[in-house]
Amino acid sequence: MSAILQISDLSAGYGPLRVLHEINFTVERGERLAIVGLNGHGKTTLFRAITHLVGWQRGSILFDGIEIGGQRSLGEGRRTPGIVRLGVAMTPQGDAIFPGLTVRQHLDCGAWSRNAWRERAKRREMIFDLFPPLRKLENTTVGTLSGGERRMVSVGRALMTEARLYLIDEPSLGLAPVISQRVVAALREIDVRDGAIVIAEQNVSLLDGQVDRMIGMHAGRLRGDVGHVELG
Amino acid sequence: MDAALIVYALNLSAIYALMAIGISLLWSSIGMLNMAHGATFAVAGYGTLVIGNAVLPGIDSLFHGWAALGVIRLAVLLAAGVGVGALFGMVIYLLAFLPIHDKANFAVRGMIVTLAINLATVQALLWWFGPRQQALPNVFGFGRLSLLGIPLRYDQAATIGATVVLLGVALAWLRYSRKGLEIRAMMQNPEGAALSGISVRRTALPVMAVTGAMAGAAAVLLSQTVYVSPGAGAMPLIKGMIIALLGGLGSVPGAAVAALLIGTLEAVTGALPFLGQRMVLLVQFGFIILVLIIRPRGIGGLLDETRK
Amino acid sequence: MTDPIAPVFHRVGNRRHEYVLVPDGTRDWHRARVPGLSRHWLKWRGGYNPKTLQRERRLADKRPLWWFLGLGALVCAAPLLPDTLLQVAVVFCVFAAINVIWTLIIGAAGILSLATMAVVGLAAYASAATNVYLGVPWPLMFVVGALVGLVVGGLLALPSTRIDGLYYALLTIGVAEICRVSISQIRALAPQNSSINNVGSFIPQDWYLQRPGLLLSFASAFVLLLAALLLFRFINSERLGLQLQAAREDEDFAEATGIDYRRARLNVFLISSAALGFVGAYYAMLYRSISLNVFSLDQLLLMFAMIVIGGMGRAEGAVIGTAIVVVIDRALIDLGPLRIILIAAVMIAVTLTTHAGLADVRTQFRGWRNRIKSERRAARTRKGGEVMPEEATEIPDKQEIAYRRFDRRLRDRLKTLITPDLLEEHKAAPLGPHSDALARVLNYFRRGEMPDKYAILQDGPPEAWTYTVMALSGEPGKPPRVVDDRVYQTRDEAYHAVFLLRVNDLLES
Repeated sequence: MSAILQISDLSAGYGPLRVLHEINFTVERGERLAIVGLNGHGKTTLFRAITHLVGWQRGSILFDGIEIGGQRSLGEGRRTPGIVRLGVAMTPQGDAIFPGLTVRQHLDCGAWSRNAWRERAKRREMIFDLFPPLRKLENTTVGTLSGGERRMVSVGRALMTEARLYLIDEPSLGLAPVISQRVVAALREIDVRDGAIVIAEQNVSLLDGQVDRMIGMHAGRLRGDVGHVELG
Repeated sequence: MDAALIVYALNLSAIYALMAIGISLLWSSIGMLNMAHGATFAVAGYGTLVIGNAVLPGIDSLFHGWAALGVIRLAVLLAAGVGVGALFGMVIYLLAFLPIHDKANFAVRGMIVTLAINLATVQALLWWFGPRQQALPNVFGFGRLSLLGIPLRYDQAATIGATVVLLGVALAWLRYSRKGLEIRAMMQNPEGAALSGISVRRTALPVMAVTGAMAGAAAVLLSQTVYVSPGAGAMPLIKGMIIALLGGLGSVPGAAVAALLIGTLEAVTGALPFLGQRMVLLVQFGFIILVLIIRPRGIGGLLDETRK
Repeated sequence: MTDPIAPVFHRVGNRRHEYVLVPDGTRDWHRARVPGLSRHWLKWRGGYNPKTLQRERRLADKRPLWWFLGLGALVCAAPLLPDTLLQVAVVFCVFAAINVIWTLIIGAAGILSLATMAVVGLAAYASAATNVYLGVPWPLMFVVGALVGLVVGGLLALPSTRIDGLYYALLTIGVAEICRVSISQIRALAPQNSSINNVGSFIPQDWYLQRPGLLLSFASAFVLLLAALLLFRFINSERLGLQLQAAREDEDFAEATGIDYRRARLNVFLISSAALGFVGAYYAMLYRSISLNVFSLDQLLLMFAMIVIGGMGRAEGAVIGTAIVVVIDRALIDLGPLRIILIAAVMIAVTLTTHAGLADVRTQFRGWRNRIKSERRAARTRKGGEVMPEEATEIPDKQEIAYRRFDRRLRDRLKTLITPDLLEEHKAAPLGPHSDALARVLNYFRRGEMPDKYAILQDGPPEAWTYTVMALSGEPGKPPRVVDDRVYQTRDEAYHAVFLLRVNDLLES
């Protein structure tokens, strides 16, 4: 069983609105996958369904053989910390930031596993290597940072613990092209030996050469491989 | 100003601070107004009484003649109070937080449930122990010591000292420990916290246990001036609430400052000849209303990160 | 000739059962109005049933019936009750009246004030004092009470606009305590334990603890409850209440439409406080005395329990909650403190399970059920039709939705049939015998709608007809338009061109 994520017949939505229509796809180990499509067509809902933050969902999600999906109508968000601790790291659309904490505290929050917490200083260094501008902002309150810096903090937080599945939602949203290129290049550096990284993105050109496979999403349905892109 | 007055004011402030900070801490971290804080106080008092009466004779005989006997007795009673308080805090967590924390209208419903717990607990204590006041075993003795030329009763010294230590530890824990970080993350962005593996339920339990423990400590420290009775928690609850309000419901340092102000105000009002003890409550209320009208978010609005 | 078959009606669906009256359709319908007002007594709705061909009438709002039945039962049962239970009924009526007015403050005005007993107590003390020490006759005690209530309400209202809701609630808890302490300081009352006795009253002295006095107490308390309910109705359902409801839903929008909701809230608060003062004076007269117990925190918490259990927004909630708590409190008095624990347990159970108390349970349940139903419906829709669910509710003809869904599936199927071979086949023989697949495709095209339907224009002299493709407008009087400027020499070419255009349209849809 080499697939790290196997989604079968996933439907999800909010209240009476149904966003995802019976999605089926598989993510292999060591794969870098991009899901492309316009805004409002379900990319974010897909990620939120995997982490249990959506209104309701039906269908099965197998993460490394463990069933994390399942039928659910109420209590969104209750199982999210559990899913995260299984090894799923998600950067939501926009930023998941805590306005009153410093950059260093943000990164520490991301280190939820015992190992990660013990070596958090080393990991922080690793994140600063990935995103050099954050190094001198280590003790600044995140609420005062610019959009690009916040995005770097948000992504960095997700990278603090060794996760097996990285879900990055729209890394370039609202950012200047230079900065978004840097963020995507940093994502390229992530070692996905045993896991996978899935990026949801509107801007296809940004991901040229950064991912192994691209899937299109339109109106809550997957549109098949948009093209097998060779790694440059 | 009379030195004894200062000491009296500090003593009052310390006691009020212990109560108010528990309430402020709980509100700022999990968004619940704990009206059962007074009940925790009373329950811890009775728990200490029961445990003390059972254990102290044994301690006395075991450590007979030791110089540190007084300290050991105090430690035992404090441990009992803190333990019972923490346990009761967990009971409140199970009843008032867990079932409704992510449902509609949580703030008001949490307040109502804790109010009901308060009601039930006081009546239960009344029913079990009877209405008579009872005294905790004396641990402080009646001696006085002299600090910088100011005469202090042992229990006053212990109260002030212990409160400062407890508050310092609590604030340090909140600011520097991992759990404290998780709590602050949770209050600023619940979804982001969930995505960082922080579970609201797992984090709320230690907070409620800690605030319960603080109420328990307050009960033991107050044991010289306030007897243990079922209604013992009412005044600490009301005073603690309005001090937490004055300090700004989300601000722990604000609550400390407010406690100092109110304690001093009470001491001064009591001493002034044309006001006296009976006007204390009225004056305190008037002061608080005045401050809240000028600054609706309380004193500590600027001192601490606010709840968005 | 066979007998006509009488129509048989089968009940289908799960709509709530509605009781309808079938009046005589030939007579006029007079709806009685409340004398002096333009309101009707009951909310009758008339209609015509096209299936049974009869005039129908149904009651749209059944709540007045429930009120009538409930209160009527109380009034009828009261004279038959023994003394102890009659006293319980008196207490119920007085507390219910206070709670109904309190619901006006909390529900309509949205001010979470816990100072009701303080207002009641202060007014009671003031009116009792004027009666005992200043010799004011007892009828005027009501006026004094209402005035004192108004003044105290005004004082309490001042901070309510500046201070946040929950903060204000906590402050008002302390107000009763302050009153208690302040009154206990009044030296003139100290010898009697700070209570005032021998207050003049509408109950004659010799009737006081006898059965006639008890019956008079109950009658007056019941009238008080009715008056409180009327006040609630007048404020809540009339102009003030509607303004406040608008403010509750969206304050900024209400202000933008010219509703001064702050003033409305203040007015409601003042009126309610005056009403509470009135009740306070009544309270002093009912028991012919007033003591500090009226300010006790336990009593306040008990009253709070009543409105919490019943529901904090509605008058029905206040009455139901009061009934439950008073019954537990007074009827089970042998249990001692345990009964308070029971009340607290009921309070906890109700708060944990309902959003807004027992009176609103039906609405909450229906809301939950509708939510689950809509989610299930959205989840169940397999392979989605053409129409999104939120669109579907706006289309009145549901056949339309089914047709669109069918059309979509048909088109998907036809798309798979379109192959280059098919196109060649048509080119070879546009009118000739067609294969099954081509026949299906052509049948679908022939069923197309008139607007934008393709047609062929035959033009030119009979020896050299030329053909161009046009599209019909679908509107009478409006000429067709030319699709492109290609001209075909033979009719078969034109047929094939039309076919290709239609195939393109199909593939693009």
